[in-house]
Amino acid sequence: MLDTLLPILMFCALALMLLGAWRRVSLWRQGRPSPVSLMRGLAAMPRRYLVDLHRVVERDTYMSRTHVATAGGFVLAALLAIIVHGFGLHHRLLGFALLGATVLMFCGALFVAKRRRNPPARLSKGPWDRLPKSLLMFSVSFFVVTLPVAGILPGDVGGWGLALLLLAGVAWGIAEMFFGMTWGGPMKHAFAGALHLAWHRRAERFGDGRSTGLKALDLEAPDAPLGVEKPTDFTWNQLLGFDACVQCGKCEAACPAFAAGQPLNPKKLIQDMVIGLAGGNDADFAGSPYPGVPLGEHSGGPHQPIVNLQGKGLVDADTLWSCTTCRACVEECPMMIEHVDAIVDMRRHLTLEQGATPNKGAEVLDNLIATDNPGGFNPGGRLNWAADLNLPLMSEKKQADVLFWVGDGAFDMRNQRTLRAFVKVLKAAGVDFAVLGQEERDSGDVARRLGDEATFQRLARRNIASLAQYRFDRIVTCDPHSFHVLKNEYGALGGNYQVLHHSTYMDELIADKRLTLGQHKGGSVTYHDPCYLGRYNGEYEAPRSVLKAIGIEVKEMERSGFRSRCCGGGGGAPITDVPGKQRIPDMRMNDIKETGAELVAVGCPQCTAMFEGVVEPRPHVKDIAELVADALVDAPAPATQKPVARPDVLEVH
Amino acid sequence: MAFEAMFQPIQLGKLTIRNRVMSTAHAEVIATDGGMTTERYVKYYEEKAKGGVGLAICGGSSVVSIDSPHEWWSSVNLSTDRIIPHFQNLADAMHRHGAKIMIQITHMGRRTSWHGNDWPTLLSPSGIREPIHRASCKTIEPEEIWRIIGDFAKAAGRAKAGGLDGVELSAVHQHMIDQFWSPRVNKRTDEWGGTFEGRMKFGLEVLKAVRAEVGDDFCVGMRLSGDEFHADGLSHEDMKQIAKYYDDTGMLDFIGVVGSGADTHNTLANAIPNMSFPPEPFLHLAAGIKEVVKAPVLHAQNIKDPNQATRILEGGYVDMVGMTRGLIADPHLIAKIKMDQVDRIKQCVGANYCIDRQYQGIDVLCIQNAATTREYMGLPHIIEKTSGTRRKVVVVGGGPGGMEAARVAAERGHDVTLFETSDALGGQITIAAKAPQRDQIAGITRWYQLELTRLGIDLRLATRADEAAIKDLAPDIVVLATGGRPFLDQHAEWGYAENSDESLVVSTWDVLSGHVEPGKNVLIFDSICEFAGVSAADFLADKGAKVEIVTDDIKPGCAAGGTTFPTYYRSLYEKEVIMTSDLMLRRVYREGDALVAVLENEYSGTQEERVVDQVVVENGIRPDEVLYYGLKEQSRNKGQVDLEALYAIQPQPCLAEEGDGFLLFRLGDCTAPRNTHAAIYDALRLCKDF
Repeated sequence: MLDTLLPILMFCALALMLLGAWRRVSLWRQGRPSPVSLMRGLAAMPRRYLVDLHRVVERDTYMSRTHVATAGGFVLAALLAIIVHGFGLHHRLLGFALLGATVLMFCGALFVAKRRRNPPARLSKGPWDRLPKSLLMFSVSFFVVTLPVAGILPGDVGGWGLALLLLAGVAWGIAEMFFGMTWGGPMKHAFAGALHLAWHRRAERFGDGRSTGLKALDLEAPDAPLGVEKPTDFTWNQLLGFDACVQCGKCEAACPAFAAGQPLNPKKLIQDMVIGLAGGNDADFAGSPYPGVPLGEHSGGPHQPIVNLQGKGLVDADTLWSCTTCRACVEECPMMIEHVDAIVDMRRHLTLEQGATPNKGAEVLDNLIATDNPGGFNPGGRLNWAADLNLPLMSEKKQADVLFWVGDGAFDMRNQRTLRAFVKVLKAAGVDFAVLGQEERDSGDVARRLGDEATFQRLARRNIASLAQYRFDRIVTCDPHSFHVLKNEYGALGGNYQVLHHSTYMDELIADKRLTLGQHKGGSVTYHDPCYLGRYNGEYEAPRSVLKAIGIEVKEMERSGFRSRCCGGGGGAPITDVPGKQRIPDMRMNDIKETGAELVAVGCPQCTAMFEGVVEPRPHVKDIAELVADALVDAPAPATQKPVARPDVLEVH
Repeated sequence: MAFEAMFQPIQLGKLTIRNRVMSTAHAEVIATDGGMTTERYVKYYEEKAKGGVGLAICGGSSVVSIDSPHEWWSSVNLSTDRIIPHFQNLADAMHRHGAKIMIQITHMGRRTSWHGNDWPTLLSPSGIREPIHRASCKTIEPEEIWRIIGDFAKAAGRAKAGGLDGVELSAVHQHMIDQFWSPRVNKRTDEWGGTFEGRMKFGLEVLKAVRAEVGDDFCVGMRLSGDEFHADGLSHEDMKQIAKYYDDTGMLDFIGVVGSGADTHNTLANAIPNMSFPPEPFLHLAAGIKEVVKAPVLHAQNIKDPNQATRILEGGYVDMVGMTRGLIADPHLIAKIKMDQVDRIKQCVGANYCIDRQYQGIDVLCIQNAATTREYMGLPHIIEKTSGTRRKVVVVGGGPGGMEAARVAAERGHDVTLFETSDALGGQITIAAKAPQRDQIAGITRWYQLELTRLGIDLRLATRADEAAIKDLAPDIVVLATGGRPFLDQHAEWGYAENSDESLVVSTWDVLSGHVEPGKNVLIFDSICEFAGVSAADFLADKGAKVEIVTDDIKPGCAAGGTTFPTYYRSLYEKEVIMTSDLMLRRVYREGDALVAVLENEYSGTQEERVVDQVVVENGIRPDEVLYYGLKEQSRNKGQVDLEALYAIQPQPCLAEEGDGFLLFRLGDCTAPRNTHAAIYDALRLCKDF
């Protein structure tokens, strides 16, 4: 009887799976086109899965091994089961192979089940709690029904009763594992995840690549929407990407806004997109809700606006404005989902189509439009901070080795100290550098993260035009946001430069022995990795190497390097200022305090501002450039020269 | 950006200044070695440059000619090439920190003294005597005029050769140029007087000669009065006409404006407005000049606070603000704004200790910042943390000396406890601030209060420290700054008794602190003639009392300082307080409900009596030594301060010696009554090496 019913069951399940797949694919196809090569993507998929994705998963060794056993066992078992039980190829060796596969899967599933016994809060419950049982059921059922194939048990052992029981087990197993895969069960992740890897919107991420720049919006295309209003405004492969989510909550655990009690949970956001894709409400979401936002009140559909500014849509605007664009979620996601892209896409609609940038957002954007700087300062004052430094101007020099990109920190008294310290370092090293002065404009970073792609592109094009007038080898900046935008986002608009963060450049100067440095005097130091330097651009080593060169042994925070916690200053978050239960910089300062360091070294004006906004007593905050400038010692003058040319001493950098 | 207006660079001629804050020309009285800008001078200005000032114009009344003596105020002497290398040191020091430096140049004419040094014959347009210096003078001859014009040019050339960024021609405070301008002083009928053009001619020829010497690229400005405030002097309208006249030549890169003339005691008090004046009292005069000239206008006078400076600059009244006394009190004023430490700025309180010393021809010092002008000795504006032992320091007394000792010790990183008997910090400053128009002196305490809170010292107010309480803390160092009490028991005949109901006399402290009710008809006997006596007189008169203040000295208030006694007198005369000199208080006795004070003339010996209902005596302070002698024998150093180390700004040798128990030091009035500055200076130089 089993021999008859099993193939029917399995092929029915497979047929349903295919039907579900067709249905799922058509849901994705509601999205807008995306320029990816379907075939090349599929060809690249195995490597992306086995190498690139595995690298992310491997950070959690327990889960990595569990997944290898469970998934590997399952894939093998499923294929063999189709051959053995579906097509009735009852070969003994195949039977043993299938038994081995189910045992492997069973072992993996035991660990899945074990983790579910006391799960961390970030894991979704509901169907995900069912999954280990289904996995066990699948593996046990197929194990038992395969025993006769392997000749271990006679074919009729147990009689009808056991046969029915086994059939039920198999039915459960394949329901979950086969058609559950395409009909929206937890196993959907395998199906969508594999295709997501194949047709990922950032193919550059794979093969040791890095792709973090936001994609430019085509402002000229008449039929392209300005950002994402409804789920179908996403590209089809973004929609596909949402479906890949395994609800592991690694993003949730890393998200600074979630931890601060702001109404954002990246995992929930992705699930809301999945709800929007198919239509429905969030009542059944089995994970942590957005802090302070109850479940069951929000709903949407593929053609309905995601954000309803007058009432309740699928997602509240505050959820989107809570994001600091720190990319911690993207960095952690084992399915390589692009949360930040999605958030900025939706912000673009709110800003460009609705004019609904909240709090100081609209004012900042107006300032950028009117004055080319977010603070609305008189643009003529861009070089006031350096009135006594006689900085070489590009407009006078026309060419220089280094173009020092000053950034809008030029208008901020605190950041001026960093800038002045860096100028001191450049002068001490005898670097041939120049600044754009009045020709420099805001890089466009904040405008772009606030969704104002038009202002970003206008600023970027004007900066690119200014830069095009001059010859220089490299751009160096103390601002990781400018650094990122110049390096990774101007290219699409025709500006391609070699751009260095000042820590990287100082590391180079030190390596080339162009700086005479003493030792850092003062207390112990920790280092905070800025998101836009670290996760966005992979620079973790240079700042540490510079600090080491001035005798600092960094007392590392638990969350450092690619796991660094955001200061709260990115993505326009301080401007849109969505309230939470605590402030992100306070949390980060607690991380800093835990190291016992008396000083936190930073490399970003935003981080500096956020940390110095934390009430004292707290560790001091100094930019790496300040620490290096403080450690500079006068180089002994050559004997033939009069010792007159002392470098500028800048007490208040 | 907060204070944005202060940080706009400004162009003075070809010169770019990094911000809008300057130190205006003032006589520092520290140019030594024949009027040279030696180390003390350079370090004083370098500290301002380090602290972020945009421009300093140094050398108020620096002389260009040998018949304008520099010795009286140790001012800078530009009449010799010997100054050039000194200027180079000064310019290097300022430029190293991004600041610009100019110097004021002048010929003082009649506004100086002739008796001494080279015994010069003083010169003036019409030979009219100047009262403040009791300076008689000759009428200047045309040959001398042309020589002095040449001296100006040569002096400017020396400033340029020394690397300074510019010169300011002084035509303010009745120096030679404005002596020619003023019809009060210039009665000439030749080409150097008479008509407006005639009176302007000397200044114009000076400007032309200077410009010819230094060329167009060197900054040249002029400082002038906005209104002389003399009925027969130059009015605001006159000054607008004069300013426009020189501005129209196109040869001036800036114009500095000072409200008021300064050739009488009363106008002098306006020139450097003390705490009795409102903020920026003469800004309208500078703004009036700015209306008619094209050159940037610079103005100082009671601009002390960054918010105030920002408001003035944002309002466009003037182009640059002088915060001269503000920078004397805190040369790091700008740096603290930039460091977002505005609350840590030691703000000038207008006590005018600096300028009142200058008018006596002694070096400029700050009442509350003992490091100012002492940078060359190694006295720090910013106290570094010790790398040595962290000690337990107990300070007794919350007056200026105690507050400074606690602050410095805490900045050094020590664990500090401060005992103060009363319920507030301040000591005698708290009492002094009770007098009318003297409330701003409490700013000294306000700053210490903020600093001591920031430094987290253990502040025990309303707590009398006795030996046991001190020793309970197991201190390594005990600093006593317990002050003293009014010295009313010097003469038994005054009838002082500790019980104020029985005592025939009360102290100025009793009156100002409100400890005794003001009388209706009061005699104040003041043997000190500094602040307390006149403050009490002003206070009592303000409460409606009839007041006579009597002294056996020259005149009540005569030791309060050159810019300070005039503002007391303005208030006292207005309130019809009688000021009587040359009388000594012999005896006080009771007659019915009234008190009779017996006064004896110092010179004739004749006695007279006053029948009053209250006798107030200001006779200085008697040190409170009880605690000191209680602890002295128990201390390791027997309470002794090593004076050689102290005066050399070196650590006390006993700090380096091992031993059990505590070191004991005392400072301020509990040693011997001196003044606020003395207490703070002793505390700083003693505690900076703890």
